[in-house]
Amino acid sequence: MPKVLAVIRREFVERVRSKWFWVSAILVPLFLAAVILLPAAFASSGGPKRIVVVDGTGSTFGQRVTEALRAGTTFQASRVTASPGVIDSLMREVGAKRLDGVLVLARDVVRTGAAEYRATNVSSLRDIGELRRVLGSVVTTARLERAGIDPAVMARAEQPITLATQKISGSATTGESSAQSFSLAYFMGIILYMVILMYGVNVKSSVLEEKTTRIVEVLVSSIRPFALLCGKVVGVGAVSLLQLAIWAVAGRVLFSQRAALAGRMGGLETDGGLFQVPHVSTATAAVFLAYFLGGFLLYSAMFAAVGAMSSSEQEAQQAQQPLVLVLVASFLSMFAELNDPSSTLAVVLSVVPFSSPIAMPVRWAAGDLPPVELAGSLVLLIAGIVGVTWVAARIYRVGILMTGKRPSLRELVRWVKAA
Amino acid sequence: MTTPILVLDGVTKRFSGHTAVDGLSLAIPPGVIYGLLGPNGAGKTTTIRMILDIIRPDAGSVRLFSETGRARDHSARVGYLPEERGLYRKMRVVDVLVFLAEMKGIERRVARARALAWLERLGLGPWRLRRIDELSKGMQQKVQFISTLLHEPALVVLDEPFAGLDPVNTQVLKDVVLELRQGGVTVLFSTHIMEQAEKLCDQLCIIARGRKLVGGSLSDIKRTSSGQHLTIGFDGEAGDAARLFAERRLVKQVDDYGQYAELELTPGADPQELLRLLVASGARLSRFQVMEPSLHKIFMDLVGRDAARPVVREELITRA
Repeated sequence: MPKVLAVIRREFVERVRSKWFWVSAILVPLFLAAVILLPAAFASSGGPKRIVVVDGTGSTFGQRVTEALRAGTTFQASRVTASPGVIDSLMREVGAKRLDGVLVLARDVVRTGAAEYRATNVSSLRDIGELRRVLGSVVTTARLERAGIDPAVMARAEQPITLATQKISGSATTGESSAQSFSLAYFMGIILYMVILMYGVNVKSSVLEEKTTRIVEVLVSSIRPFALLCGKVVGVGAVSLLQLAIWAVAGRVLFSQRAALAGRMGGLETDGGLFQVPHVSTATAAVFLAYFLGGFLLYSAMFAAVGAMSSSEQEAQQAQQPLVLVLVASFLSMFAELNDPSSTLAVVLSVVPFSSPIAMPVRWAAGDLPPVELAGSLVLLIAGIVGVTWVAARIYRVGILMTGKRPSLRELVRWVKAA
Repeated sequence: MTTPILVLDGVTKRFSGHTAVDGLSLAIPPGVIYGLLGPNGAGKTTTIRMILDIIRPDAGSVRLFSETGRARDHSARVGYLPEERGLYRKMRVVDVLVFLAEMKGIERRVARARALAWLERLGLGPWRLRRIDELSKGMQQKVQFISTLLHEPALVVLDEPFAGLDPVNTQVLKDVVLELRQGGVTVLFSTHIMEQAEKLCDQLCIIARGRKLVGGSLSDIKRTSSGQHLTIGFDGEAGDAARLFAERRLVKQVDDYGQYAELELTPGADPQELLRLLVASGARLSRFQVMEPSLHKIFMDLVGRDAARPVVREELITRA
């Protein structure tokens, strides 16, 4: 037993010591931060727009528009009364970049609903959208006033509605919203795919290193090959869990600080931003972890077999292609599952062991799931792990001592039978 | 005779129709340096791998320490240096040593102390925290050699231990091997370099094509394996030497270099008769010496041209 512990410790310590571990520990959260912050930063680049409202309405309408614009954070608005030549002089200001744009309100704007915005940049959907929204709302109010509607009635009518979406699991709400469900499922899919592949390949390299350096001869004269394999998988698995923990903590901090960070980058925090802060329930976290561990065990056993049957990194690269393909396919099928979590395809993929480690957590996060399916999928996954490990361990045992060309499929079958 | 520490009994290993080791039996008494000699492809490495339970024999048995159980059960008492060398390239020297000692059941702290002492002794002290791939090949070999000894085994198995070492390091390792024997450790090593074997071995076994050709103590083998040997040096005039050397009644085999010849006499032949005939034929001799045959000679005689035939380098696993 202490020998297995030594194998586990070596795998863990050497990997955590390597710079690659820390590079990916830092890069992934950085990438995440970029995904969260950059859209906000781009959307609000340059801060508020300086515009002048040229008020030709001859009523309080121009004043109201200006105030409504000032209430937002997109524009820094001031108002001048329309007079001959004022537009031309303002256009010169825009040309000299002392001003970003001019909003021209004609006398009959309330009736026609037509206004004009002249600016150096009229392609910012965000700016134009904001202008349109403010104008529309002020025009509506003005028109209703003209029609003699009581302002109090209008205020009540304008009371906005809030639509909160709550995912129901079983019969209880989980606190996860639909936008959150999507981004959570999406992130979980990406991370499962990435980590299983990354650390599966790690197991393969570890096996291959011991094989090519022939250390394995010394090792298997002291420890059973199966124990060596187990120690390796557990050690690398522990590293992957540490990596996940680092990401989780970094992600949590980033998400919770995202308003502050976005603000510091000159952006503005809008709650309808690109990504909602995902609320991860305990059950979701448990499903994620269970399938991560299951997927890792399943794939790392196969990756170990790949390492054992190859004699060089190049050979292993080729031999692992089928495995990687299956993983990539499971990853890509995630989009079908997000689209319709209860389609036949999604159900099948989330039950079959080779794709379930990615498909099932995605389905779980995306929508409601019958407990029977979850249980069945887990049972099949465990059965898959046992079966695959049994075969992989046999290939491993024979392969690590084997030199020469890569075995054919028929030879592999013979190894499994002979071992 | 004392109880052997290692007994091979009719051990056979076949690879896809080719027999790598064929009914090999040997017994190694404790405390000796035992040489397993043979040409390339003779089955030395396969034999060693079977001794260490890395591969299983198809027939026959291997018994260690006259106990039952497989080699892995005794691994704490066995040290093994494989033929093809290698260590974890990215690990630090001392960490590799500690890990490999742990594989033999040594506690970390003990392993560390021993590793540092050995590194110091073999002049690798300043390198202890370097990564393996920063070391020269020779240094890596020394590190690996240390790793086979850290758990203080009773039996040390070295597969071609001196291959690729410079003379200085070879001497260092030879000293360590001799010291091990003084400490009562049994050393089994394989080589195809006879000069090394002749200097180091108490007992040996020569194998070729998986079969044992001869085995026993070095002196016994020299006494019994071949007849009398002569070294003859000519002083300019060889007389009728060429014809006399072809005389099968006297000479069994000859390596004639012109001014110098090595002969093996036909059993029962008298060296004095050859001397008389040579002198009578007009040869001038500078040297006429009855020799104990070198191990190299014995080896060449036994293995002969058979060894020159190409042998397929075999893989470890039965594919049949």
